[in-house]
Amino acid sequence: MNASNKSNPHTVPEPQETTATALEGVWRVVVLNDPVNLMSYVVMVFKKVFGFDESTARRHMLEVHEQGRSIVWAGLREKAEAYAFTLQQWHLTAVLEPDEAH
Amino acid sequence: MKRIEVKLSLEVVAPLLDVIKNVAGGLSANLAAPLAMRDLDAEFKDTWTAELQAAQTADVQVLLALFDGDFFSEGVIGLDEANAEPVVRACAAIRLRLRADYLKTFGDETLETSDVNITQLEEPVRKAFMCYLFLATLQELIIQHLDSSIIES
Repeated sequence: MNASNKSNPHTVPEPQETTATALEGVWRVVVLNDPVNLMSYVVMVFKKVFGFDESTARRHMLEVHEQGRSIVWAGLREKAEAYAFTLQQWHLTAVLEPDEAH
Repeated sequence: MKRIEVKLSLEVVAPLLDVIKNVAGGLSANLAAPLAMRDLDAEFKDTWTAELQAAQTADVQVLLALFDGDFFSEGVIGLDEANAEPVVRACAAIRLRLRADYLKTFGDETLETSDVNITQLEEPVRKAFMCYLFLATLQELIIQHLDSSIIES
């Protein structure tokens, strides 16, 4: 530990606080388009992973297909990560984004 | 248990298996859809990658197991509630890898519509594209007949 840290003990925890703050709030799970996976496959995955009905799953699939991305879920970071992991298991590309509105 | 048996043309499908097995080999150390999340910490990312890799490898083994003695003697593969989910996922993984390894020159729209004159393709690409279509057909069959067992499992 260097001298400046000794003289100012508050400098050490700061990055942790920043990280914690960054992961708080509402996070979006965003599915990105790929030209390989079948539309029917993406619909089935959305129904399986999120429990969507046919029309909701189809609407999100079309958003992915036509706009390149669809926000499929929003909520706490930990659960968003779990959804992203599951989507990756199904070989769909997912990213997380902070929901700036919350 | 719901089960469907699919009669395949040995003459058409058997030559594709070498390509599928070759691509499957490439998936033993790489994710078909690499992680796109940039803000995962390194340890977390390593753990995720290892778990996804293990799951992907297990799925691919279930797909390859379809092409057993019954397939080579009668051209029949069996799909049921137990193997539908890993097989449909393995097909997705191999199709993604086929694109990366053989079909890079195809535009996104071409791949989405599959509007390709197969007879004009060079041999390795032609075979890879036939695998790509065959695996899509397998996925469609599973989704058409076994999707409820996957969704409810």
